[in-house]
Amino acid sequence: MGDGEREGPTMTDAKDHDAHAVTKVTPPGRVVALTGADGFLGRNLIGLLEDDDRVSRIVALDVERPATAGRKTRFYKVDLTQPRVDARLAEIFASEQVDTLLHMAFLSSPTHASAWAHELESVGTLHVLNACRERPVHKFVLWSHTILYGASPRNPNFLPETHPLRGHSESRFLRDKIEAEQVVASFARSSPGTLVTVLRLAPILGPTVKNYLTRYLGRSMVPTVMGFDPLMQFLHEVDALAAFKLAVMRDIPGVFNIVGDGVLPLSTVIHLTGRIGLPIPHPVMYPIVSALWTAQLSEAPPTFVDYARWLCVADGDKALRELKFRPAFTTREAVLDYAHSQRMRDAHLLRTTP
Amino acid sequence: MARKVLGNDPFGGDSPKPATASAKKPVPPAKKSAAAAKKGEKKKPAVTEEAPAITAAPDPAPAPDSPAPSLEKAAGAEVEEPSLESVIAQLDALLDQARDPAESRPLLDRLASRLKALTRPEEERALAPAPAAAPVLDDEPFDAARELLGSDYYLRRWGQTAIRDRSEEVDDFGLDPEYARRWQPVWDLLYDRWWRVEVEGIENVPTTGRVALVANHSGAIPLDGIMLATALRKEHPGARPLRWLAEDFIFHFPFAGAYLNRLGAVRACQENAERLLRKDACLALFPEGVKGIAKPFRERYQLQRFGRGGHIKLAIRTGTPIIPVTIVGAEETWPMLFQSGRLSKMLGLPFVPITPTFPLLGPLGLAGLPARWKIVFGEPMAMDAYRPEQSEDIVLVNRLNEKLRETIQGTLDRLLRARQSVFKG
Repeated sequence: MGDGEREGPTMTDAKDHDAHAVTKVTPPGRVVALTGADGFLGRNLIGLLEDDDRVSRIVALDVERPATAGRKTRFYKVDLTQPRVDARLAEIFASEQVDTLLHMAFLSSPTHASAWAHELESVGTLHVLNACRERPVHKFVLWSHTILYGASPRNPNFLPETHPLRGHSESRFLRDKIEAEQVVASFARSSPGTLVTVLRLAPILGPTVKNYLTRYLGRSMVPTVMGFDPLMQFLHEVDALAAFKLAVMRDIPGVFNIVGDGVLPLSTVIHLTGRIGLPIPHPVMYPIVSALWTAQLSEAPPTFVDYARWLCVADGDKALRELKFRPAFTTREAVLDYAHSQRMRDAHLLRTTP
Repeated sequence: MARKVLGNDPFGGDSPKPATASAKKPVPPAKKSAAAAKKGEKKKPAVTEEAPAITAAPDPAPAPDSPAPSLEKAAGAEVEEPSLESVIAQLDALLDQARDPAESRPLLDRLASRLKALTRPEEERALAPAPAAAPVLDDEPFDAARELLGSDYYLRRWGQTAIRDRSEEVDDFGLDPEYARRWQPVWDLLYDRWWRVEVEGIENVPTTGRVALVANHSGAIPLDGIMLATALRKEHPGARPLRWLAEDFIFHFPFAGAYLNRLGAVRACQENAERLLRKDACLALFPEGVKGIAKPFRERYQLQRFGRGGHIKLAIRTGTPIIPVTIVGAEETWPMLFQSGRLSKMLGLPFVPITPTFPLLGPLGLAGLPARWKIVFGEPMAMDAYRPEQSEDIVLVNRLNEKLRETIQGTLDRLLRARQSVFKG
């Protein structure tokens, strides 16, 4: 559910794993449930949590069973766009005694199916929160994005968590996620019994992740906006996973920007990936991208051109101070790591990652 | 194809060492037979040093005492495998010496690849071209290329071709030191020859620690930030790097914002200024803002309102001493004849200045007239006598702001009285 790359749900084994499930005793460790378990983050987190002794059970919720599901994982086929899904979720939370919920059923790339995306992200979050009201969990962790702050020439160089989310209002992709953050914020206020942690991740780059950004930088000619060269900030995929793992293991509520250290101008990013920038004047850039998006030839709608013009860089100090999260990779290293595997893909030495 | 590009040596300009230049020829993921043949010449790096560029030709024969040209790949390959690795390692080490010794990332890279392997699902891990040797049986040349592409060496080379005139890194606020250095001769020329800048009181700027330089903003084209930075770089004993806050509109506009940002300008806002000062930067502020540079020529050297005292609040909050800076000469460099309202609306700028030189002479007109500049650094105003919470004391802030403004206006008047001629100083 998380990648927007899905070929279509397969109607196979829905609840195969809990058929031969163990007896329902209170497990000694944490029980972690993930929505969007078959997305990039969910899939890899399941793999990581499988290896962690402090987690006794993983409850994977998605429309498709993640390939990384192992011994500890129980898969439930749950479609958040269905109307009565909240009752079913509450049921699962109760029967599995879920104490930590990672809500990651979001699209990592813009989609043309915006009505469905709205149902999944904005309304789906409401369903998940309703289930949490019905059967409270100990901790609720939300996957969010720093791009929700919006790119603007008036942004300070480092956006704090308190900065309003001013992502382009015409972008359904951003608006749905902002709405999800808003309902989670009001849930946090009204449910003091649940710790709510919101992780706003910088755009993720890395050797195996696939999203609109990796496709954009993977073009042989990368279109840029003439005369603009904003500072970019990325997060390595390993750091993204580490941040979620940290949020699972430590009970620290709040909103945190999760970002890689350092910034790079877009032009340098393109050079580091070995691509050629194609500067286009901004008055014609928007119509061109709009036409390409309509023709499904562009990675992102024209509202994303703003990010190639202006700053949208977040301040990760709070995550370091309170969550004690220190990224292992800088922005530059994330770009290099991505470029490295991208080149091997270009040379057909690396199969595209699942 | 690839082999030809590498044979031409696009990297040659960067590294003068002939050894490294010729050494990288073995790299390309070329045709199978050729790559296999390469092994012969790679075996002894000592030889490659004298080997002329022609060795890039597919025929490995010219290398004098190379072992039997291993065009038949099966037999010889397995024996030579370790030597290939060692040569690559050697080349790597050589490169590291030739280039910046500070750049030693191998440890991090090793960590990265290990983590990568961890996060990758099972089947992928099996398929992975990771440096994990992947012993080869049938398609051996193919795997050699895979290994080369996987090495950090190739990546660095690749990066170098693309980034000739820039450093690969900028600081947190976008300053690219390498890029800024390339532009220095231009600013030096303007500073020394065109405006013949005279500096007074530079010793008031401390060599270390946070400090805010508050200056008058003047001249229709705001290059005073760059000149202030040039003055500090050339005249200050510590060659203190300066960051300055630039108006918002510059960042709306193509080219100007990106360009000035690489040179050290930062968008003017409280968050940026505070972050920079907390890092003990030397920061220049122009509290008049656009009003200072957009005023007509007849109002030259009359200080406008000093904002709402944000710079004073900032200084109190961060305990930063303020140095009043007076700049004379910029007003006559670009005397604003009039402003084009229609043009500015069209371009989305707060004003478009029409000066005797600017739109007329094109980009050259940006240099303006050769008026003589004088920059005076005043006595520091210490702010540590105040508690941080006093930054909310509006009366105090206004009083200090007025005092600062009067200091600068006083210096301006003194300098203008003492000045004999606009152009001779």
